[in-house]
Amino acid sequence: MLVLLALLACDPGPERAPVTRGEAPTVAPPAARLKRLTAVQYGNVMTDLFGDGVLLPSSLDPDQRIEGLFAVGSAYTTISSYGVEKYEGAAYDIAEQVMDDETLRATWVPCAPTALQDDACAEQALAALGRRAWRRPLATDELSALVSVSAEAAVALGDFHDGLEYGFAGILMSPNLLYRVELGDGVAYDDWELATRLSFFLWNTAPDEELLAAAERGELSTDEGLQAQVDRMLADPRAVEGVRNLFSEMLHLDELDDLSKDPTVYTYMSDALGASAREETLQGVQALVFDDDASYLDLYTTQRTFLDRTLAALYDVPAPEREGFGEVWLDEGQGRRGFFGQASFLALNAHAVSTSATRRGIFVREVVLCQVIPDPPADANTAIPEVSEDAATMRERIAVHLEDPFCASCHQLTDPIGLGFENFDGIGRWRTTENDATIDPSGELDGAAFQDAWTLAEAVADHPSTGPCLSRTVLQYATGAVADELDDDLEQWHAEGFGQAGHRVLWLMRDVALSPAFRGAGAPAEETAGDTGD
Amino acid sequence: MDWRAHQPLSRRAVLGGVARGALVTLALPPLQAMFDAGGRAYACDGILPKRFGIWFWGNGNLPDLWTPTGTGDGDAWQLSEQLAPLQVVKHRLCVVSGMKVHLANDAPHSSGAAGILCASPLQATGDDSTMSAPSIDQVIAEQVGGASIYRSIQTAASDCSGVSYNGPNSQNPPETDPYAFYARIFGDTFIEPGEKGKVSPTLGLRRSVLDGVMADIDRLNARLGSADKARLEQHLDGVRELEQRLAILEENPPNLEACERAPALKGDFSDLDGRPQVAARNEVMSTMLAMTLACDQTRVFGHYITDPVSDLLFPGASAGHHDLTHNEGGEQPEVHAITVGIMEMLATTIQKLEAIAEGDGTLLDNTVVLACSEVSLGQTHSIEEMPVILAGSGCGFFKQDHHHRSLSGDNVTKVLVSLQRAMDISVGEFGADEAMVDEGLSDIEA
Repeated sequence: MLVLLALLACDPGPERAPVTRGEAPTVAPPAARLKRLTAVQYGNVMTDLFGDGVLLPSSLDPDQRIEGLFAVGSAYTTISSYGVEKYEGAAYDIAEQVMDDETLRATWVPCAPTALQDDACAEQALAALGRRAWRRPLATDELSALVSVSAEAAVALGDFHDGLEYGFAGILMSPNLLYRVELGDGVAYDDWELATRLSFFLWNTAPDEELLAAAERGELSTDEGLQAQVDRMLADPRAVEGVRNLFSEMLHLDELDDLSKDPTVYTYMSDALGASAREETLQGVQALVFDDDASYLDLYTTQRTFLDRTLAALYDVPAPEREGFGEVWLDEGQGRRGFFGQASFLALNAHAVSTSATRRGIFVREVVLCQVIPDPPADANTAIPEVSEDAATMRERIAVHLEDPFCASCHQLTDPIGLGFENFDGIGRWRTTENDATIDPSGELDGAAFQDAWTLAEAVADHPSTGPCLSRTVLQYATGAVADELDDDLEQWHAEGFGQAGHRVLWLMRDVALSPAFRGAGAPAEETAGDTGD
Repeated sequence: MDWRAHQPLSRRAVLGGVARGALVTLALPPLQAMFDAGGRAYACDGILPKRFGIWFWGNGNLPDLWTPTGTGDGDAWQLSEQLAPLQVVKHRLCVVSGMKVHLANDAPHSSGAAGILCASPLQATGDDSTMSAPSIDQVIAEQVGGASIYRSIQTAASDCSGVSYNGPNSQNPPETDPYAFYARIFGDTFIEPGEKGKVSPTLGLRRSVLDGVMADIDRLNARLGSADKARLEQHLDGVRELEQRLAILEENPPNLEACERAPALKGDFSDLDGRPQVAARNEVMSTMLAMTLACDQTRVFGHYITDPVSDLLFPGASAGHHDLTHNEGGEQPEVHAITVGIMEMLATTIQKLEAIAEGDGTLLDNTVVLACSEVSLGQTHSIEEMPVILAGSGCGFFKQDHHHRSLSGDNVTKVLVSLQRAMDISVGEFGADEAMVDEGLSDIEA
């Protein structure tokens, strides 16, 4: 797979149409902001440093979505008092695990102390961990403070390594670890900052030693050096986590942990369903992006998916022979294909006991097409009729949304799409009737008629906004900028290239990693009305 | 540092405690000054601490079934159908009805939350909105929180985010797991009054490490724009608070008379058949919260049953709560039953506060709890007729067994001003835009 990836990550080969767009427009890059590591990133960094066996804290401050992405929210969130307490507890807990494990301790404390207080040995260990954890070399005063606290603790506790735990903990609870410090000089980011930006964007974790070495040599601020690292990183297995996290954030897959469904209404509901549904979607993304380097648009129309026994039972298809996930090809006769046929999308965008055509429609508009659907007016009466002979199906029950002009101005954008998925119940089980009435899933998406979810999937894949929307989402994901901060011409330039490159996700990630919006640094963000004002 | 004078504790035990999220030694505040020469504490004479709490649930009520009949004191007013479970604590309540949030109701649920909690309109971050000001619990904690171990404590009876805000995009998440909350407050190293506690030798070392963290924050601060400076200031506050807590621990001071270890937790609080055990979780969280206050761990709390817009599946309900508020027909009997169930939970929390004797009275005497939601009628996201219940008099500041009804849609921010005054905070104007007021609600003040 690695060899294949190395080829695919580069510009389109001769078998593909070349990308012919012009030069990148000159833009003012988004303001520089600190980004708080997400809980997933914190875990990834600790695992990178100390291995899969390290026990991580069970909870940290929750991440917050802004414009749909934790990556954007992380540029605005703070650390609460309870969060400080949890980070401190985790730092000591992890530092202790490192000192207690012979192999880990030998890795991170390669020198043998010659006395209870051995500042040279402590400094060597603290400098090495600090460089990886803070993604840059430590300044002299930073290092001497850590050496000093380690010495104080060693003397107090009567053991060199017990003392060094305090220095390690100091590194692990520092703002230099907990935030991505990418501040730039108002024009560009320095090499260390670029290394951090690249690794969290492409790998969702901190830089490895090779990337830091490239930063130290000043290579990331050159075009060739940057390209070489981007290509290497996209060909590295860690890019899989990067892509999975991008789609997990964009598609809200983390919310599957909190799926609330009434098991008396949904026989196939189980505690395992949420996690299985997330894995189905992510394995599909992974196969599309890495195995096939196929068009992103295929995510919506592919007949291939990956199911475990829980999902195979829900979808009523033969289960893979072995435990775990296996590849399954869905038949047209089953009516189910692509992301919109998956339990993740169908269950998340529904109520505890019923579907929600409106929520499914909003998801398509906002997440897949990057359109903004306004909130309903607060005083709207949102009641819909109960099930009756005249209103057996969801389409009949929410007809008022489209008949009342007050409601229709927004609901005409969402409900007709959502009603196209009505053959799937609130957790994604196929059905043809609702309350004994036949479901009519036909409709129209911005001029493209569809008969059912199968053809609706094609209408979404063919929609002119679908490709550009992912391109914008990746720009926001990489930079942490809100959409208003992105330059329209630059957005269009990336979208144009993405289209010409056959909507290949790795091509897009490479393009964004080399983008002026990603490499260029705006001035540090100031609190202004424009920032947050209404 | 005086830790050298103490017997060293096993480092493993210490870090094990940290690993489970518990503090090493349980914090005991310097309360010597709170007792008279005989060691006896008096209530409501400025000696025992006053406490404030928010008790919040999502999705509002059914105002027609909520509003008490009659107004005034004692027998002059009777609880409504929805408030019936509060009969056992009626003599401790001050119910306020007919007041409204004086802000544009342009974002369903969020506008109401911004009004009742922060008295300020929402502000935008990109396409999303956030609170523009701290919530009332944090406004009060800013003034009174420094004297206790924790500036404020947030707990919840379901898996939710809570509604405690420091400002834009800055939330104080609650502890939702009863066992984690127990470990945080009443872990192995908790010291009851009269017990001889051991001071961990590592407390001073941890403070030294935190000094380093603060220096890191300072160095970083110098490079930041104002937007990030404000964020880092929040972080620094948290670090300072933790350092202060460690300093108090080192002093190993005596505690309030009423303080004791909360009973050990038993049982499994995970969902049953896809439905969270909200009432059971509320009961254990309330028991622990009451003792947390009695031990002066904090003087300000937020306790959340559910979030705004919560779609929680309550036991017996045919759909999620939010879904029902919009889609249940007729008189909405299911929404009514859920609201009554939530009021049963409120009665439980109030009874837990009342069960702890303190001074000449009970913990509840020295406490005032604001029970509220982000809307009144969920179906229309109404922010008129906001549900507001005060429980406990706040040391005699508020009328008890009282129903006040505004006939003119008075500004609900006035209640927030009265609450601050009850906590001895002088306040002139409070709130922003149309939500701003310059007076409290004198009708409910004793």
